[in-house]
Amino acid sequence: MKIEILKEIIKKKSSKEQFAVLTNLTNGNSEIFELGNTLSKEFESYKKEIENYYNLKKSGIIEETQVFIHNYIKPVEVIIVGAVHITQYLIDFVENLNFVITIIDPRKYFTSQKRFKNVKIMNDWPKEAFKKIKTNSNTALIALTHDPKIDDPALQHALKNNFFYIGALGSKKSHVNRCLRLKEAGFGKEEIDSIHGPIGIKLGGKSAPEIALSIVAQLVSESHKL
Amino acid sequence: MQKSSKKTILEEANSWIESNQKVVIARVIQTWGSSPCPIGSKMIVNEKGDFLGSVSGGCVEANVINECIELIKNKNLFKKIEFKVSDESAWNVGLACGGELIVFIEKINS
Repeated sequence: MKIEILKEIIKKKSSKEQFAVLTNLTNGNSEIFELGNTLSKEFESYKKEIENYYNLKKSGIIEETQVFIHNYIKPVEVIIVGAVHITQYLIDFVENLNFVITIIDPRKYFTSQKRFKNVKIMNDWPKEAFKKIKTNSNTALIALTHDPKIDDPALQHALKNNFFYIGALGSKKSHVNRCLRLKEAGFGKEEIDSIHGPIGIKLGGKSAPEIALSIVAQLVSESHKL
Repeated sequence: MQKSSKKTILEEANSWIESNQKVVIARVIQTWGSSPCPIGSKMIVNEKGDFLGSVSGGCVEANVINECIELIKNKNLFKKIEFKVSDESAWNVGLACGGELIVFIEKINS
């Protein structure tokens, strides 16, 4: 593998978009592939199969060829509302997982870059923040402020946009109240029931890192259902 | 097995090369059965046998590292190594999981 290819893979990975690395196993030549790119002579005769594997996000030796394709899959977008203590541990736990995090919190004193390095932070109310970022059914929402005036608008946005995972921090009792507010806002039972509340899988722990771990475990589990 | 705090395996490979080390990258290109590391898993190895990453969760790493050091010493640029349970040598290196895999090792060069 040429050093230039290695450097290009590193660069492309940080762009957080899908791409693939193709390798001819008979001579070791590699190149980067993205949809719409023209293939070099080395690989152009396998165009159809390469695109097929790319669209299926499948990695492997393309059948009946000596071409290996490794797809680097776009990370899952995760929006965390609340730059709180649990969020700091959450960021640590997801570091080696394929997630890209955006933190939203309108409270200035929580969102200092000192508390969160290398993470995108938006010092906005959720309603304003969601005008600036693209979200879809591959996005996850983790609501951690347990303040209805911050969490609720974010939850409503996530429900309307069919986020694949929506979780909200709070006790069973506060979750019941949250569900009532969403019902009053016009959301149906099925939508409201799709919210993971209280958030996280049951680990039994109550400390901030333990709660963060239980949330990450649930998020990983749900992301594999995508 | 060392793990740097923030760098990915490929970033680490790049800095090994920048510090004039010879580096081979090993990638899992095919698996069958219950092999522990999925296709695309990688490991880097230098001429001293220092390594980072994993191709089988421990089963065949020692063998792959030796192959990588051999590759650095000879003129070839790459090699395909198959580990199959049916193969006697595979038992020697110990694919206890019962899986089978192919590892592609190649020099990183300018």
